[in-house]
Amino acid sequence: MNDHETTDTETAKSEEGTDTMKAIVSVRDLAKRYQLGKENYVDALRGASVNVQAGEMVAIMGPSGCGKSTMLHMMGCLDEPDSGEVWVNDRRVDDLGAAATTKLLREEIGFIFQGFNLISTMSALDNVALAAQYAGRSRREAQSLAREALEDVGLAGRADHRPGELSGGQQQRVAIARALVNRPVVIMGDEPTGNLDSASSAEVIDMMREINLTTGTTFILVTHDPDVAEACDRVIHMKDGVVTHLEGPEVTSTNIPEPARRELAYAS
Amino acid sequence: MRILRNVFRRRLRAFLTIFGITIGVFALVVMGSMAEKINLLIDGGTRYYSDKVIVNDASTGMGEITTTPISVGRVQEIEGVEGVARASAGIYMLLDEEGGMSMGVPQGIIGGDFRNVGYEKFELTMADGRDLTPEDRGKAVVGCDVAKALEAEVGGTVALRGTSFEVIGIYDKTLTAPDNTVVISMEDVQGLLFAQLPAIVQQQVEPSQLATSITAYPEPGVDPDQLASTIEGAVPGVKATGPQAFTDQFKSATKIFNSIIFGVALISLLVGGLSVVNTMTMSVYERTREIGIRKAIGASHRQIVGQFLTESALIGFLGGATGLVLGWVTTLVVNTLMSSSGTVLFQLTPRLAIGAVAFAIVLGVGSGFYPSLHAARLRPVLALRYE
Repeated sequence: MNDHETTDTETAKSEEGTDTMKAIVSVRDLAKRYQLGKENYVDALRGASVNVQAGEMVAIMGPSGCGKSTMLHMMGCLDEPDSGEVWVNDRRVDDLGAAATTKLLREEIGFIFQGFNLISTMSALDNVALAAQYAGRSRREAQSLAREALEDVGLAGRADHRPGELSGGQQQRVAIARALVNRPVVIMGDEPTGNLDSASSAEVIDMMREINLTTGTTFILVTHDPDVAEACDRVIHMKDGVVTHLEGPEVTSTNIPEPARRELAYAS
Repeated sequence: MRILRNVFRRRLRAFLTIFGITIGVFALVVMGSMAEKINLLIDGGTRYYSDKVIVNDASTGMGEITTTPISVGRVQEIEGVEGVARASAGIYMLLDEEGGMSMGVPQGIIGGDFRNVGYEKFELTMADGRDLTPEDRGKAVVGCDVAKALEAEVGGTVALRGTSFEVIGIYDKTLTAPDNTVVISMEDVQGLLFAQLPAIVQQQVEPSQLATSITAYPEPGVDPDQLASTIEGAVPGVKATGPQAFTDQFKSATKIFNSIIFGVALISLLVGGLSVVNTMTMSVYERTREIGIRKAIGASHRQIVGQFLTESALIGFLGGATGLVLGWVTTLVVNTLMSSSGTVLFQLTPRLAIGAVAFAIVLGVGSGFYPSLHAARLRPVLALRYE
């Protein structure tokens, strides 16, 4: 991996010596302030910009509170930026309405979380099938797709177990199956190995990499885990709400138009 | 199954909430059944009086059960009034000498002169045996509720005011006054009425002239209420009551009763409804993270609202159905226990049963609406952070 020092603003502006490929996810000048009281606030993002190309597996790293999870949530439409742009699959998504956001989450984005976030009262199969049902599939079809997805992650034999009956690694594999069941273009993981022991962690990393290589699904993983970073094509480093540097080639989008005017909020 | 599992995640709380609805629906069913029984009696009375004018002695109070005699001789006078097609004398007296307290219509003995045949439209059908004929003497046809109270069977006997009568028939259930009435011949009932008159009165009247009311049947096209006024004007010393007066009297008597009954039941349901709001609000808070997960994997606002509304509707349904079953069993047990006295206190009608459960479901949905909307509006990222 190349260690390419840059700033977030430079990332967006730089054209020389970069890979010009299709960006599947692109964020530009993202800013987000969390108000903690009448006078206290935290600027979680202060103009972060980065491109992720289709089919790659990237890690976002940085110290706690640097804004990496906030940026991931905005990439995945789970939260809205105060300013800046988010593009997913050639479409600006930071200002989508509720219905369009729901559609995007059903069809194009999958999520994996640190705490697995499976619904405890449902079996592994039902947890996975639920995502397919939300995407408009019939119960029978959803169950069939869920079985396939569980087979893909090696858990066909555990389909009827509830999350409480599965190990951490198995639960995260169920979560991967759930993220995968609607065949999204990008899977976003927020500390996917954060709650796992090293053996389970390695298993999950290998699985994500294999899926990435065999299906071409893009993975964007927020992590503290150097093993995850090692398995990725590139590492995006963040600090204090901005992207500080990239390990690996910089990617410049060719498919997303430059904005007419940048509104950069909270930039220091 | 999944919805049930969600509802019963917190078993004790779910049971208590359902129990709250159950109590409300139970109260609605039991008290509503009482109101329904009274309404049916009133409906029956209204139907009975709808096409005729009841003429009593002028000293009789409105709607009073009277034994103040009116002379059978006045039948001809009333029949002579313009607009009267037929007049028929009859006697109504209480079965029990003391009268006593009764919910609904008290048990009574009735006899008529058969002049109303062909004019009376309130038909009674036989459950067993045969109806009375003008030639029958010492024979009785018994209403179904009073038959239970007197343990009357066709072929057996019943004692009416100390006199034994052979039971020749039992009427079908009408859900109104005739269920509590024994029909005997005019001559027989005149004898019973005469026997209970004070000696001084007995000396002044002929038993064969005794009646307590005369029913006037209007000619086709004549308004019975108008006819009542005409009769009062034309025949001195009588009080004539048309259908409207009966309807007004019945309605005012039952209006307050119905209001109190349904008021109490609705308050119970309101309390039950508030417990659903509480439960669903707690459920939404406890499952905030789950809501975040669902939204993150593509659940729409409508699906989240639908999920929580379905759960609150299920709580309403379970509470409603349990309340209905308990209420039904209670009315059945009480009716059975009281059947020996001929009193039927409750009438659980299909409309009340369906209405009570439907109301409980609507209550559940209504109570769950705000918590559901709150759940649907949660921002996924905040919901996912919720511990």
